[in-house]
Amino acid sequence: MGKQEEFVLRALEERDVRFVRLWFTDVLGFLKSVAVAPAELEGAFDGGIGFDGSAIGGFGRVYEADMLAKPDPSTFQILPWRSQGPSTARMFCDIVMPDGSPSYADPRYVLKRTLGKAAEAGFTFYTHPEIEFYLFKNVPEAGAEPVPVDRSGYFDHTPQSMGADFRREAITMLESMGISVEFSHHEAGPGQQEIDLRYADALSTADNIMTFRTVIREVALNQGIWASFMPKPFTTHPGSGMHTHVSLFDGDQNAFYEAGAEYQLSQTGRRFIAGVLKHAPEISIVTNQWVNSYKRMMFGGEAPSYVCWGHNNRSAMVRVPMYKPLKGQSTRVELRTLDPACNPYLAFAAVLAAGLKGIEEGYELPREAEDDVWTLTERERKSLGIDPLPRNLNEAIAIAESSELLAETLGENVFEFLLRNKRAEWDEYRGQVSAFERDQMLPVI
Amino acid sequence: MSLPNQPGRPATSKGSLLRLGFHDASRSAENLTRLGDAAEPLVALLARTADPDAALDALVCLHEACAEIDPQEAQALLAAVVDDEGTAMRLLSVLGASLALGEHLCRHPRQWRELTDPTLGSTRPAAYAVREELLRAVGADPWAEVPVASLADAEAMDALRVEYRRVLVRLAARDLAHAVGVDDVAAELSDLAGGTLEAALAIARQRVGPDHAAVRLAVIAMGKCGGHELNYVSDVDVIFVHAPADDATDDGSDDALVLRTATKLASQLILICSDHTTEGTIWPVDAALRPEGKAGPLTRTVTSHQGYYERWAKSWEFQALLKARPVAGDLTLGEEFCAMVAPLVWSAADRDGFVSETQAMRRRVIDHIPAKEAARQLKLGEGGLRDVEFAVQLLQLVHGRYDEAIRSPTTLSALATLTRGGYVGRDDGEALHDAYSFLRQLEHRIQLHQLRRTHLVPDDDEAMRRLGRSLGFTKEPGAALDKVWQHHRREVRRLHEKLFYRPLLSAVARIQSDEVRLSSAAAADRLAALGYADPQAALRNLEALTSGVSRSASLQKALLPAMLAWFAEGPDPDGGLFGFRRISEAMGRTPWYLRTLRDEGEVARRLATLLSTSRYATSLLEREPEGVRILGEDLAPLEPTAMLEEMRSSAARHTGDDRLAKQVKAIRAVRRRELFRVSSGDVLGVTDVADVGAALSRITDATLQATLAVAEEAVLDQRKLGVAPTRMAVIAMGRYGGFELSYGSDADVMFVHRPQEGADPQRATQYATAVANEMRKALAAPGTDPALELDADLRPEGRQGALVRTLDSYAAYYAKWSHVWEAQALLRADAVVGDEELRRDFTALIDPLRYPVDGLRDDDVMEVRRIKARVDHERMPKGADPHLHLKLGRGGLADIEWTVQLLQMRHAGQVEGLRTPRTLTALAAARDAELIDVEDALTLETAWRAVSRMRNAVTLARGKAGDQLPRETRERAAVATILGYPQGSTDAMVNDHLRATRLARAVVDRIFW
Repeated sequence: MGKQEEFVLRALEERDVRFVRLWFTDVLGFLKSVAVAPAELEGAFDGGIGFDGSAIGGFGRVYEADMLAKPDPSTFQILPWRSQGPSTARMFCDIVMPDGSPSYADPRYVLKRTLGKAAEAGFTFYTHPEIEFYLFKNVPEAGAEPVPVDRSGYFDHTPQSMGADFRREAITMLESMGISVEFSHHEAGPGQQEIDLRYADALSTADNIMTFRTVIREVALNQGIWASFMPKPFTTHPGSGMHTHVSLFDGDQNAFYEAGAEYQLSQTGRRFIAGVLKHAPEISIVTNQWVNSYKRMMFGGEAPSYVCWGHNNRSAMVRVPMYKPLKGQSTRVELRTLDPACNPYLAFAAVLAAGLKGIEEGYELPREAEDDVWTLTERERKSLGIDPLPRNLNEAIAIAESSELLAETLGENVFEFLLRNKRAEWDEYRGQVSAFERDQMLPVI
Repeated sequence: MSLPNQPGRPATSKGSLLRLGFHDASRSAENLTRLGDAAEPLVALLARTADPDAALDALVCLHEACAEIDPQEAQALLAAVVDDEGTAMRLLSVLGASLALGEHLCRHPRQWRELTDPTLGSTRPAAYAVREELLRAVGADPWAEVPVASLADAEAMDALRVEYRRVLVRLAARDLAHAVGVDDVAAELSDLAGGTLEAALAIARQRVGPDHAAVRLAVIAMGKCGGHELNYVSDVDVIFVHAPADDATDDGSDDALVLRTATKLASQLILICSDHTTEGTIWPVDAALRPEGKAGPLTRTVTSHQGYYERWAKSWEFQALLKARPVAGDLTLGEEFCAMVAPLVWSAADRDGFVSETQAMRRRVIDHIPAKEAARQLKLGEGGLRDVEFAVQLLQLVHGRYDEAIRSPTTLSALATLTRGGYVGRDDGEALHDAYSFLRQLEHRIQLHQLRRTHLVPDDDEAMRRLGRSLGFTKEPGAALDKVWQHHRREVRRLHEKLFYRPLLSAVARIQSDEVRLSSAAAADRLAALGYADPQAALRNLEALTSGVSRSASLQKALLPAMLAWFAEGPDPDGGLFGFRRISEAMGRTPWYLRTLRDEGEVARRLATLLSTSRYATSLLEREPEGVRILGEDLAPLEPTAMLEEMRSSAARHTGDDRLAKQVKAIRAVRRRELFRVSSGDVLGVTDVADVGAALSRITDATLQATLAVAEEAVLDQRKLGVAPTRMAVIAMGRYGGFELSYGSDADVMFVHRPQEGADPQRATQYATAVANEMRKALAAPGTDPALELDADLRPEGRQGALVRTLDSYAAYYAKWSHVWEAQALLRADAVVGDEELRRDFTALIDPLRYPVDGLRDDDVMEVRRIKARVDHERMPKGADPHLHLKLGRGGLADIEWTVQLLQMRHAGQVEGLRTPRTLTALAAARDAELIDVEDALTLETAWRAVSRMRNAVTLARGKAGDQLPRETRERAAVATILGYPQGSTDAMVNDHLRATRLARAVVDRIFW
């Protein structure tokens, strides 16, 4: 047992921890949790906690269900929302096979593997997500229109607003779990909030996003409201995205930075963007994995529909933010496709793999899009070489099916499960008769 | 009488000079005359140096240099060496052993007075004193908190070099004239290096200017310098750590400035030490051990280091950190760094795969040395210094977590404490200590000569003579040195492998000894660290193998340390050890067994690998332990004719009643041995996978051919017949016909015969049926050998049909009833055994059926597809994972083979190359005929090979045939090992398999369906 494990075991004593929640994430990005008593933790560090993998979405092939969850002691945290009396702690787990080899079905390992590939090329991958979500007055009910907690808009300061209280409590809680928050404000939609996490290496960020989603929902419940990361809850209001700033570091140096280059963007940076652009349609099934995800991306505004990049072009899929002098270390690019209902491990892995591919193969960065691509005509876009992103989940599935990049990045198990699951989702959706259809047709036909 | 100053025959005469050991007598005589009266008394002293000629040359040179600055100085020099034997000894031994230091003294003649200091023999200079002297030399205040050089840059550079050498001259004198221990010399050299780095940093601060004050920089010595065991000349390994001078600000732009300044300081420090000035260079400073090596930033903060070590560092980096020690710059910061890494180092041994990673790393180091130098290498290579250092560090990592006593960063001290603690056998520890000290001393002397960084032992006679003499070999110094060197090298090589394992034996030994024994708990720890899953059982097996005082017990004790190491490299060390115990017990006192293992290391290694990897090979061996012998032979498959000949002749030795059983038993024994040969070659990676299928098919050919002959004889006897009424042949079908047999598979066959002219057809058929039945029975009979099941279900009418048919009957049947699936089965028919003419005719009969001139009708194509669809569905065993079924699974063997076969049936009428029973040959022909894309063909071939390999590996690992990847953990790991995956990556193997078969399935979907 290493020092970190010993530290955790000591902390359990000192902080009077009665339960330890072992967290891991299934392929679709849902948090799974198993609680163990502190006494069992030592064994968990050694050999992991056995569970039936076939019961977890995308984990087990039916007949080899035995898997182990091995807690990562560096992720040990006391859960702040159970503040009375004895406390509860959590750790993220790696999923391993009974012989100790890491499981290819574990999304965390998918990301670790891709990070390992980047490390071989000398890179570390940093991400910084801006997470949007909606707050509603009530717990959702089938068929009922949800009611947002307020009617404010972008950056609005609302006196005695529920949102502000909410943000304050949520941020306090996040900080107490070691997750630094950079920025928070009211977003454009009624009841819509945005909280930006501080940039960190991609694995920590993905862990943080999983924690974040849990904390936000816990805090909302405490305040008697409901939080949701659904990408597009209203037809008429903007959807919730998760714009993510990414950068590669080569040792302590920002590999995207080159003094004097256009936008101070190095060749590595340009190739990375080219890779992300080229492969964006095929990884769409991961960055935007739900039927609902694609409804966010068809109305313009902050959500992209076309494969292009620009400098401070708010309609572009990839945006190269304004360069701040003397901040070479902060050179980064912003990806606007991701939504907060993605599986962050898989999404970061796919984005990184696409970018690395661009670097490896030396992709040329296409022309910058200077116009608002929404205002261009179909023909204009075509002549500029700007392709559309998949318009719905079905198109995304079709493109993903023949993507070797995606198969290689996700691993065979996850790749196949995801395709199977998404086909089923699409089929189910296809069969639904919606209120829209009834409203359109019943009165007239 | 021979007094040194006997008149007429002065000691300085050429003859006596030669006798005394001078080489170039005339030059030396001339040199001596320049020394005047001093010559006579000095000759004997000079003669004791490593190289009298060189020592004299240098002395004359020094004398002249002194004379140039001041005649009195020259006089004083000679007076001192003549009058004070101590001074003479120190000065002359330095001049005799080091050309470079001789030259240095000639350039700075006044420094000879350093060697008049009598305390040199008794007092080790304190590290702080050395540091002070070096700092003063560059004009820095040693008492300042942050010393900065004040001499002008070029001047400071030279001053540093001169001062460095001044201290070095004193040190060399202690080493050469006062026999200071090699570990002390190394420690003093490390102190000198530390002081030098400090002074270099003082110069670097001056270069960087006032900005330097913003940064705290610590220099951490790693490697030899860190371990306090530096050589005279080697790279000084360091890591730099920096921090802002005041912790108050935490602004991003400030961080960047601090990093820039720290990087400047560090890179200047490196240049200051390694640049060549008129005073030469000191040594290269190597910062490559830092996180991310050369690709990483030159210096990091403590936090940044920590982040790296916790997340990314590899095992060898922890091993390197064992020796981390702050030596220069901000020592508080350095201590902080060391305190941060210490706990990481001591938990490194708990990391999965740590030992194997480290051992693999060591093997890589050995592989890297160019072959032509390997024989003269002191450091790398087998039996080199590195071997000792690695072994000691590895043991420290394994046991150091619980035993702080053994954590010394210095190799020799660590070895001593390991020995004292019982972690290393006492004799081994002492022998290793001697060997290491010797090798290090030799290295010192080699480097001292020209102050060059080298680890090669020179191979010219003169240099060897000088080295030998400097180490005290007076008679034939070169040869004597070589002999001792080789001895120590052998010792290191011998001990290094056993160091780890031998104390394990002492833990189970019952014999009394005064040695400290490894405790059972520590032995179990070590076994567990080596990968033994059940250390207690392993200890019991060890005890059984080594108990008693018999000769075999003592041979086992010598053999086991190496065997244990090899078992540990396999996926199932426990199984390997247990198998070895069983085979050793079965072999009992067989005289050659243990001797062969002991004498022929390769045989023992192969045996250990087999036992710890393959249950199939192990069970073949357990049935006949004598097979161990084969491991000493070439493992290439035997020639088919030779094999058949051997089967025939060993069968022929059995006569009399009921001889068939014995004859077939003899044939099967040959078969078993050949199976063992092929499987061993496969597991050990000697036999190419592609050849395995062919070799297995050939073994079956020979077995059937030999068995057919003896079965015919037996039936003739039973029926009291003189001549056989019919001629017989055996048709290989299925994977056997395709030359693609795997270990466990049955042989698919059909029997055909043709009655002799005039023979009664009925009796002929009865005869042939009897022969076929005898063959099947005898080959399938239970026995010590693996049975060979003959499966004749592919014959016309399947199990309902006659076992044996005449050629005409086949012709009639196929003419009337043939279905497309039968034609498909015939694609793999290969008439290989029996009457040659009959085989030819049979082939002529079936060719038009399986290679229809006009290809297949649409109906037939549809029928083939329909059957395949049904087979996919029905034949899949209940509970099997369709993705992991090797034969029937997605993109598995059946998918690929059916695809190739459909192409064959459609096009073989036109394309001759397609007329072959072998899958890959047909696939290549289809590609050449452009019936399939080059890329698609490659995808299918790759998948077919991979899946076939995996199927073989499954049988090898489990000991029984299987079409599914095993679910049991250890079996799956064994399959992965046989396929060449590193430990702990079974799911990577599964992932690769799924990928290959997914891609194959996509091709099959396009071409077959």
